[in-house]
Amino acid sequence: MTVTDAQRGGSVAAPPRAASAQDAGPRARARRRRRDHLLFAAFAAPNFFFLLVFAYWPVVYNGYLSLTDWDMISPVKKFVGLTNYVDLIADPDFRGTLWTTVLFVVGIVAGGMVLGLAIALLLNQKLRGTRVVRTLTFAPYVLSGAAVGTLWLFVFDPNYGLIRPLMAPLGLTAPAMMTDSKWSLFGLVVVYLWKNTGFVAVVYLAGLQSMPRDVYEAAALDGASAWTRLRRITVPLLSPVTFFLLVTSVITTFQAFDVIAVMTGGGPGTSTSILSWFIYDQGFRAFDAGRSAAGAMIMFVVLLLITGLQARYLERKVHYQ
Amino acid sequence: MSPVLRSASVGRRALLGLGAGAAASALLTACGSTSGTVAQPAGEVPARYGRRTRVVLWSTFADVPGKALQTLVDRFNAGQRDIYVDVQFQGSYDECAQKAVVGLVAGQVPDLCVLSDVKWYKFYFGDALESWDDYLDPAWMDRTYQPRLLKEGRLKGHTWWLPLARSTPLFYYNRTLFRKAGVPDRAPRTWDELYEWSKDITKLEVKGKRVALEAYQKIDGDWMFQCSAWQWGGAYSDGLDVTIDHGGAVAAAEWQRRLVHRDRIAYMADSPQNDLANQLIATHVNSTGGLKMLTEAAKAGGWELGTGFLPRQEEFGVTTGGGGLGMFRRTPRERKQAAAEFVRFLARPENAAQWTVDTGYMPVVPAATKTPVLARLMKDDPNVHTAVKQLPLTRKGDQVRMMVPNANVQIYTGLQNVWSADVPAEKAFAAVAERLRKNVDRHRDSIEEHL
Repeated sequence: MTVTDAQRGGSVAAPPRAASAQDAGPRARARRRRRDHLLFAAFAAPNFFFLLVFAYWPVVYNGYLSLTDWDMISPVKKFVGLTNYVDLIADPDFRGTLWTTVLFVVGIVAGGMVLGLAIALLLNQKLRGTRVVRTLTFAPYVLSGAAVGTLWLFVFDPNYGLIRPLMAPLGLTAPAMMTDSKWSLFGLVVVYLWKNTGFVAVVYLAGLQSMPRDVYEAAALDGASAWTRLRRITVPLLSPVTFFLLVTSVITTFQAFDVIAVMTGGGPGTSTSILSWFIYDQGFRAFDAGRSAAGAMIMFVVLLLITGLQARYLERKVHYQ
Repeated sequence: MSPVLRSASVGRRALLGLGAGAAASALLTACGSTSGTVAQPAGEVPARYGRRTRVVLWSTFADVPGKALQTLVDRFNAGQRDIYVDVQFQGSYDECAQKAVVGLVAGQVPDLCVLSDVKWYKFYFGDALESWDDYLDPAWMDRTYQPRLLKEGRLKGHTWWLPLARSTPLFYYNRTLFRKAGVPDRAPRTWDELYEWSKDITKLEVKGKRVALEAYQKIDGDWMFQCSAWQWGGAYSDGLDVTIDHGGAVAAAEWQRRLVHRDRIAYMADSPQNDLANQLIATHVNSTGGLKMLTEAAKAGGWELGTGFLPRQEEFGVTTGGGGLGMFRRTPRERKQAAAEFVRFLARPENAAQWTVDTGYMPVVPAATKTPVLARLMKDDPNVHTAVKQLPLTRKGDQVRMMVPNANVQIYTGLQNVWSADVPAEKAFAAVAERLRKNVDRHRDSIEEHL
């Protein structure tokens, strides 16, 4: 069947000027699209390049290393497939490390958020000196982990540290926080809480200061107590902040390393060996790049899963105003 | 969908494709080459030394030994016109070795590197070390260095690692406290004898705190415990057969566990050396390299330091340790020759003597003991003499601890479990032995090929 010009929607009889105008439309649009493409590429390419080199490439290369047996000196990386993953999962030490990581993360994230909210509620009161207290609360967050670790080694020293005179009036002997495996993980959690809670408090405080006053006034008129207002208004309205803090705190706590390196070195025994320390230990002390990379990939996947689950289930409960 | 978004999605696919292509090609070429020549670490060179051959030395010495090394380097730099040695402090033995490994991957390593008695094997087994024999006459090395220590760095007929800051564990004690406790003013002959004395020693108090008998070093405690294992008739390994989980090693750890958890007269510490300096403990087994610091601390604290051979139990046992010098195969020949020149300078008796006097490390050059400066010190300070007298009785550490990567960390992690968590030695060492055996299996071929 022959398709006529009329059937095609064109018109043989149409004046030449009109046809040219119609053709110019798609051409102009195409030119604009090309220009948009170029503009997009010009803006995105440098960022994408750096992301590719410094973020995605290390992940890809780490994934490749996790499938090898390499001592970091030998020129040959022996391909071993999934052996490193199988060995890790079967290794009771690695399972112990995962459990320690869970305790560590829960202690710091949960403790930090409760303490941070409590401090933010106090700082939100119209009292004298809150600005100074706010600065003092936030200050530990900007200190380097190495400095914090060194400082707390002195604080925890059972012979000369601050902990000794603090416990003496209670008739208690100061525990050897960093050399007693019963206390070491708890000691580390305390240090990280001291370092990070200021940040949580300041973010919560920003959330509190943007709360609508009228809701509180209405609740007060209805006779709601302070505790009810906190439970029924403050906490739900702070849920976007809580969600943000939860996601970022879990990720940063999983990555904690500096204070551990200075204070415990993963010990005594393996009592403070969390996943990030395990990765370092295998990579840079045992020089087992494959096992270390496999540990890092497991951490990457665990973090991805946790963040995904948080986004999937917790975000539903977030009250965006 | 807007044109921009539509185009963005097309662009993203294209870019992802490009990225995947780049990743795949990079995977094939694999980053981090471990062959070819390497670059020299950067550093500042004073203008007056600008035209010389620069030799970078990665050092593990801070504080007292750091200053002592810098003094010798300054003397070397001022005493000739061709070479400039640039000392770069890299942290502990472990940290320095880590940086050297990463440097080899990245293609940037020093010309000379201080490597511990344990860590140098890692580089030797990886074929990363250069033999000294092409740069220093083997006969000269034989004439110059303490034979026992030189032999430790020789394998397959070549010298790979030269002695520098070598040490042995010594028995340090607080003579003032010993006298107050009414026990003999000498090192005990056996651990049983020390245990007898402990009843009197641990009754004492200094600044309101009860004195403990001894403390065990949290990190690297496996070095001192090597001696304990031998003293109780055991070992970490027999060749590459792991033996830590039975016999003397277990008995020795049980002894220490009893002192910590039952008698409560010993404990694990971050720095037992500091605790001895502060009179929190009365005795401590520590490196000869700590002699200078402890001598000064004792003087400042108003107490007297004593040293002696390590006590025996079933037998006598003391190991060697410390650091030596290695060169990497991939650095240019010209700089290796310059590095060797500096090593010759360090081995001159007067310089080796000064190093020992300033640090407390053993005289690795026997002729140094005849120089006036060291001879006088050994005469005046019997503590310095102790290390020299004990040297002929030393032996090299067990093969598994020395040669299997991370074995030292696995052993001291097990010891931490005994000292800190009261885990029975048999159980703690069974777990250590299992890990060590796996590691031995992984590295056996490479080790046997290089021995």
